Amino acid sequence: MAELGRRDFLKLMGLTSTVTAVGCSSETPRKLIPYISPPEDVIPGKATWYASTCRECPAGCGLLAKNRDGHIIKVEGNPLHPTSGGKLCPRGQASLHGLYNPDRFPGPLKKEPNGKFSLISWEEGEGLLIGSLHNAIKKGHGDRIVFMTDLVTGTLHDLIGTWLKEFGSTEGHIIYEPFSYEPLREANQIVFGRDAIPHYRIEQADFLISFNAGFLETWLSNVDYARQFASFHAVSEAGRHPFVFVGPRLSMTANNADLWLAVAPGYEYLVALAILRIILDENLLPSINPEPREILKAAVAPWPLEKITDKTGLSGPLLQKVTHRFAQASRPLALAEGFSTLCPHARETAVAANLLCCLKPGTQQTIDFSSTSAYGDVARISVIRELSERMKRGEVEVLLIYGANPAFSLPASWEFQKCLESVPTVVSFSSAMDETSALAHLVLPSHTPLESWGDYPPRTGVLGLMQPVMGSLFNSKPLGDILLSAGRSFKGQQRFPWKDFYALLQDSWRLKWQEMKPSVPFDSFWEKAVERGGFWETESTDPPGLSLRTTSFHFPEPDVPADSATGFHFTAYPTIQFFDGRGANRLWLQELPDPLTQTTWGGWVEIHPETAEKLKIEKGDMLRLRSPYGAIEVPALPIFTVPEDTLAVPIGQGHTSFGQFADGHPANPMHLFPPDVDPVEGGMVRPNLRVSLEKLDKHLPVAHTDGSFTQHDRGFAQVIGFPDYLKGVTSNHKPDIVPPLPEGFDPKRDFYPPHEHKDYRWCMVVDLDRCIGCGACVVACYAENNVAVVGREQVLRGREMSWLRVQRYFEPDAAVAQWLPMFCQHCDCAPCESVCPVYAPHHSKEGLNNQVYNRCIGTRFCSQNDPYKVRRFNWFTFTRPVPLNWQLNPDVLVRQKGVMEKCSFCVQRIIEAKTEARNEGRMVRDGEVTPACVQTCPAEVFTFGSLLDPVSRVSKMMWDPRAYQVLAQLNTKPAVFYLKKVIETLDIVS
Amino acid sequence: MKDLSYRDVNREIMNAMTPPGKLYVLIVAFLFVGILVLFSFWGYQISRGLGVAGVMHPVVWGTYLVNFVFWVGIAHSGTLISAILYLLRAPWRTAIARSSEAMTVFAVMTAGLFPLIHLGRVWVVYWMIPYPNQRNLWPNFQSPLVFDVVAISTYLTVSVLFWYTGLIPDLAAIRDQAKGVRRRLYGLFSLNWTGTHHQWGHYGWSYLLFAALATPLVISVHSVVSWDFALSIVPGWHSTIFAPYFVAGAIHSGLAMVLVLLIPLRRIYRFENIITMNTLENIAKTIILTGLIMGYSYGIEYFMAWYSGDRVEEYTFLWRAIGHYAPQFWIMLICNTVAPLFYFFKKLRTNLVTLCSIAVLINLGMWFERYVIIVGSVAHEYDPYSWGIYSPTWVDYGILVGSFSLFLFLFFLFAKFLPAISITEVKEELEPPRRRGAGRCKEATG
Repeated sequence: MAELGRRDFLKLMGLTSTVTAVGCSSETPRKLIPYISPPEDVIPGKATWYASTCRECPAGCGLLAKNRDGHIIKVEGNPLHPTSGGKLCPRGQASLHGLYNPDRFPGPLKKEPNGKFSLISWEEGEGLLIGSLHNAIKKGHGDRIVFMTDLVTGTLHDLIGTWLKEFGSTEGHIIYEPFSYEPLREANQIVFGRDAIPHYRIEQADFLISFNAGFLETWLSNVDYARQFASFHAVSEAGRHPFVFVGPRLSMTANNADLWLAVAPGYEYLVALAILRIILDENLLPSINPEPREILKAAVAPWPLEKITDKTGLSGPLLQKVTHRFAQASRPLALAEGFSTLCPHARETAVAANLLCCLKPGTQQTIDFSSTSAYGDVARISVIRELSERMKRGEVEVLLIYGANPAFSLPASWEFQKCLESVPTVVSFSSAMDETSALAHLVLPSHTPLESWGDYPPRTGVLGLMQPVMGSLFNSKPLGDILLSAGRSFKGQQRFPWKDFYALLQDSWRLKWQEMKPSVPFDSFWEKAVERGGFWETESTDPPGLSLRTTSFHFPEPDVPADSATGFHFTAYPTIQFFDGRGANRLWLQELPDPLTQTTWGGWVEIHPETAEKLKIEKGDMLRLRSPYGAIEVPALPIFTVPEDTLAVPIGQGHTSFGQFADGHPANPMHLFPPDVDPVEGGMVRPNLRVSLEKLDKHLPVAHTDGSFTQHDRGFAQVIGFPDYLKGVTSNHKPDIVPPLPEGFDPKRDFYPPHEHKDYRWCMVVDLDRCIGCGACVVACYAENNVAVVGREQVLRGREMSWLRVQRYFEPDAAVAQWLPMFCQHCDCAPCESVCPVYAPHHSKEGLNNQVYNRCIGTRFCSQNDPYKVRRFNWFTFTRPVPLNWQLNPDVLVRQKGVMEKCSFCVQRIIEAKTEARNEGRMVRDGEVTPACVQTCPAEVFTFGSLLDPVSRVSKMMWDPRAYQVLAQLNTKPAVFYLKKVIETLDIVS
Repeated sequence: MKDLSYRDVNREIMNAMTPPGKLYVLIVAFLFVGILVLFSFWGYQISRGLGVAGVMHPVVWGTYLVNFVFWVGIAHSGTLISAILYLLRAPWRTAIARSSEAMTVFAVMTAGLFPLIHLGRVWVVYWMIPYPNQRNLWPNFQSPLVFDVVAISTYLTVSVLFWYTGLIPDLAAIRDQAKGVRRRLYGLFSLNWTGTHHQWGHYGWSYLLFAALATPLVISVHSVVSWDFALSIVPGWHSTIFAPYFVAGAIHSGLAMVLVLLIPLRRIYRFENIITMNTLENIAKTIILTGLIMGYSYGIEYFMAWYSGDRVEEYTFLWRAIGHYAPQFWIMLICNTVAPLFYFFKKLRTNLVTLCSIAVLINLGMWFERYVIIVGSVAHEYDPYSWGIYSPTWVDYGILVGSFSLFLFLFFLFAKFLPAISITEVKEELEPPRRRGAGRCKEATG
């Protein structure tokens, strides 16, 4: 299907660019499909795919947006794009909820003296903007105009710079990202001499150690790294490349590691030092040159292994084994989070990790400084501090804000709100309400990225293009157009000659074209770029070498606060759902269970169950966490993801004015941090603070979807030891599989006769060894199949509707968890089919267990008799707030109250592929049908195909020695085969 | 009872049918409000969706099916008393046959409502009926729910006919004493009964026939109801003992309900002469038997769970006793198996207060038995990730209360407008009157 999607869009894209430019100017919903003169590329009932760039986080993955009859209904990864490779994470899948956000501004707003916003016209709004700019310039305060944005690069970045310069503000553009990675940049500067963030080539490494870097969740470019990790970590007969995680919490990334070394926050660098020390002490790498050897020796001189084991609580032999494994690798890669808010000593950790990367020459291949991340453009937090001081002193006349939401993401002790209050004019270009815009005087809502033209290079060498994927829904304007027209009214047509931002974008790409490909005419270059979603060259094979700078390093002792005996270690962590909190008003993301806690709708504090028991804290008890800098109230969630002495709170919740789905959930952990800036690297100061805990007399139920921590030894998510796996592979031993085919029936065991299949027998193979637990498949399924979002209250009642769950089971010792994507097993002997009185679950000729919604009368016997519990009942007629209903997939029925529903293997996609095949007079080819979950999975966990095709991938994978069927003892003959997770691949883990 | 004359019988039984007092009207009005609650809550549920009730994933069957099984169970002993004991010629049944038959009919009617209340889309319930249609769509005869439709509707039909057949001579007797509209109405329903030999002959045969027809139904209906559960693969449901276990349970609860209804009825309408302590004692003794069967069944379930070696099955039964629904389980166990043992003491089974209280306990226990089975088994089923805890909402409780109101409302109307005890059958038990005068003889045929 990935191929099909590409072909589809390639075919159709050629026509689209100019038409969308026109379509983009139609401002009202009424004109979304101007059928009186239909545009060429809108064929009713036929989807059009537009290539664009995801702007949900700075990773800038390429995406394809599926437009049906003028609405965008789904986004998928752009298979040509080097970052996404056809995949998206949950946030990317939910990006179209930004466009359909029901809390978007209805038009320009002006704050009245009574503090309320009132709707004004664009003329008035732009007049006010120009007026305030004019005032500042007239007073000669052009340099007091500040434009604060999130990470924008490319043409819009250039325009903002030029625009500000015209007013005399040279340093006025401040790019604010809460995740700014100053310590990482600083460490790269210290060790490699580059103040930048490189592109890591994880797949080329052969040993990976991560110092709290959640590269599968939010770190830098999670889809790219998840894809790379999947191939890095793939198991083969030779074993697999080991991955060790060092950090205070069993995060989603940590849970994918072969070994999690739990250390208190701020102690991670000690593990790196231990590795260095052991390597040097035991002379494991004689190849290290004498000069760097001396530097390293000096750096680790004060750190004998005993001291480290003493401080971290890790065992010496274990560290030795890890080190030996590290030393054996030829391309070991060490990653460090390098983000000061999360852990103390972020810089030291990043430096130590970088030092590890210098030990082996092969590692140089894995760190590519020739393609640096756009994160390098982000302003250091010291710049934001300076700005805040200027604002407080009244030295900022006009503050323009786009995309940034510092009022939410800075700690309360920063008092950014107070700073905002001292600015005479605050103008927000945000498309929807956020905490910062709530304090603005004027709101000029801009288009969302999916409605705008633009470009975004996430790293050097990758130029992502953005194009409007549908007409705009709200009374908003592209930011570029607003800036251009304001610029024109000041400086005249000459300084800003472009008709609109689209013209400017084309002009700036014309310059790029001149640099790059003068042989092709610009029009075809441009058209191709729009078709493909941007421009990128094939990756250069060898990145430039790294060299260890001859500097001396001093690693301080981990600081211990005075109250260390009484308080808890504390870690705040970003989640894959919410990033820094910007995903919080997306329904799908709120309803997506957190990978490890399986919690939806609202924040929580993770506390070890034994600690909770000792303190008589139960799930849902409200706790007040207090640090020296602030306090938050948040419900307790006893869970094994944290050690006994550590508390963890996710970042991203605790919004106060971010929209109807985000507001009012506890809690924003940033409020526990100090407002200070580290003078060395310019990042936040993150002292090794302790948090005290007070149980309040309040209760807030935690809306989690898991019924049990463990699988009670029932073999749902199975594992296989590597030796057994090897034995299975070499002996060609067939697994104990009952195929969902006539040969799987045995009159001795089966009461009913077998099903005869016609042409196809669809089935799915799920490789648990690859699953990283991210939940992208879940969100993709919500989007594709019009699955209802039920909200917090109904999740608490167990009524979530997801067709696909990534179930989490802790191992009995709770040290690690397994994930199991669970969805309808399309059994050949389905227990649900026989009990329905009206044949609503119906076994199709192609083996699908079809649920005929219109036939269902709602006895719910099918769900009762379904051992996998994947059937979902419509307890109400679930609706979506306007305009989220515009997202609904017209190929899938929207279910009403009283009917059962479940995974259909995306039957609409099967039909589409079959129609296409029939038109071409052939059978559907293997790989041509791609259900939504299969399509988006960055780790390629799923394989879909027909068992009647003897050479299909599934026909072969079904007999993989790792294959098993869930609850096979019930003789349901599931058509979903799971491949066991391979454990014991790392010989250092006993 | 032996000393009664035919005239006394008529007088005693029809005394209950005098115009109602204030208290009666008040109670009936109160029960009618309960019925309004039932139907308005149901209407609310239809308009909003089933989510207003407590049902959720994974417990998608809640109190509605608990109530259904409970009321079907109640319905059972009516037929047992009126049909099986009739065929076995157990004379003590006579005094209570009519009211327990009425109980059967009303309980089946109440029970029959619940599958409808339970449905997600009740407006298309007719798809379960095999009717010829253009789409050539038939119900799935593999489904136990289709068995259910057949079983329950058969049972309702037969028990209504049986009950009505028995009523005909009595209706005629009332007609003979009534005036005006009442006379016409009772006349209409007595189907021109004149008491000829010919009619008595037909009556006797048809009553016997219905008794014979109803007897297997006692066994079959609740067996079929049990298959709703036993034919599934849910641990805790999937068991061959379910059919006899459910039938015994049904009779257990039904007999207890007979006691609960008759003891006040007997007191209010002064039926002490007809429904004697001996009758009540006999019911109590039967309850001891059914209680022992229940205890045995519970034991066997645990034995099988252990013997099967099935981890999930073992867990299900362990969790039943110590998990979230343990209080309900222990209520069930104590009320259904321990409480009836007190009937071994003659003192307790001849004391109306203890007799009635233990019967109430048994009914409570039987309701919770269904709750424990239906809710408790799926709450912690195969997939631990999908475990969940169900609790009813105010809609569930309202509809539960409403169903009791409906049942009692119908029973109250019955006790006022129809002879609560079979006049004919009581008379059959008496010495035939010797001819002393024409008037008396004429009365006797009435």
